[in-house]
Amino acid sequence: MSAPEEQGQTPAAGGGWTSRSIGSDLQHRIFYLLIRLGGRRAAYLLLYAVVLYYTLCRPTLRRRSYFYLQRRFPGRSGAGRLIDSYRLNLMLGKVLVDRAVVGILGPAAMEVRLHGREELLALLAEGQGLILLNAHAGCWQVAMSALGFLPTPVNMLMQREDGDLDRHYFEHAGLASPYRIIDPRGFLGGTLEMMAVLKKGEVLCVMGDRLLGSDRSAVSVDFLGGEVQFPFSALKLASTTGAPVGVLLSWKSGPNSYELALAGTIRVPPGLGRRPEHFAPSARAFARILEDYCQRHPYQFFNFFDMWAKP
Amino acid sequence: MSVKEKLKKILVEELNLEDVTPAEIADDTPLFGEGLGLDSLDAVELVVLVQKHFGVEIKDMDEGRPALQSIATLAAFIEERIKT
Repeated sequence: MSAPEEQGQTPAAGGGWTSRSIGSDLQHRIFYLLIRLGGRRAAYLLLYAVVLYYTLCRPTLRRRSYFYLQRRFPGRSGAGRLIDSYRLNLMLGKVLVDRAVVGILGPAAMEVRLHGREELLALLAEGQGLILLNAHAGCWQVAMSALGFLPTPVNMLMQREDGDLDRHYFEHAGLASPYRIIDPRGFLGGTLEMMAVLKKGEVLCVMGDRLLGSDRSAVSVDFLGGEVQFPFSALKLASTTGAPVGVLLSWKSGPNSYELALAGTIRVPPGLGRRPEHFAPSARAFARILEDYCQRHPYQFFNFFDMWAKP
Repeated sequence: MSVKEKLKKILVEELNLEDVTPAEIADDTPLFGEGLGLDSLDAVELVVLVQKHFGVEIKDMDEGRPALQSIATLAAFIEERIKT
């Protein structure tokens, strides 16, 4: 399981995080076996104990959850903060288990309800391509499985570490990826590929809450009471190509269900050039949507590093 | 004005390159990284500028990667497309 332990705390290159898992290959296999034998519930039972252990006995991991929690629940301390940390870590664990459940037991094992289907189709019908801005919140992988109705290919800007043991849901099932992956560590950060797919009228999914690869194009915005750096490359692409930006966020809504919603649409004015401040209004709009998400789903925002550290 | 000269002028003026004039840019200076210091967002802008000023489209990475190495490679790419 990918867990906060390894999700980078040093604000170093690429935003200071890594997708590498804290668990060993054997530990992953135990969870996969439990899912096969007893389904989601069996894996959850083990998960409760594992997360309790990590939360109590791994202070480093616990501290990494505090960066966000102290912003979201500024009045909490002591036992309250510890319980928050457990709940946040547990929810991340459940999301990872659910992702494996979908892959191992099939998509029918998890219900995904989409809000904004017609709006998404309308945005795509504009013919400029569509940028879907996501965040490390809920379970975007499960949510992506609900985008099959879109009439064009879906592309995803995604960085994956060498040695990452976590599998995506389609990998469990031995299926081809339902979306094309663009690696931000590629030539010019994958920007030419991203431009190309938008020109073809396709969908491009980008995480809007972390800098990836060699991307240094960030704009400062206020988020949960402090200044953070959000990437603006996707907004720059929108300005250049005329593609509308839809903010698509998911959350776990029940033991076997997720909701996926078009939480907002951002229209980036054309010809903004490349100065970060020109993209601040659009980045702020994204930050407001994300803040609203954190209010509604406080334990489903998974950025386990200090987003508020000074660059 | 040759394609190379026009490209250098566009780079300096429209990408707001500081401390360098068109005449100071060598044909083989790398556009990105250590050379002119352009980054991935400049690449997006450059693709748009090439289309705007020369009517030439850089469609994808297969075309873009070899073309966007230096002024010389980009000029050669543009000249080849203009001819055809």
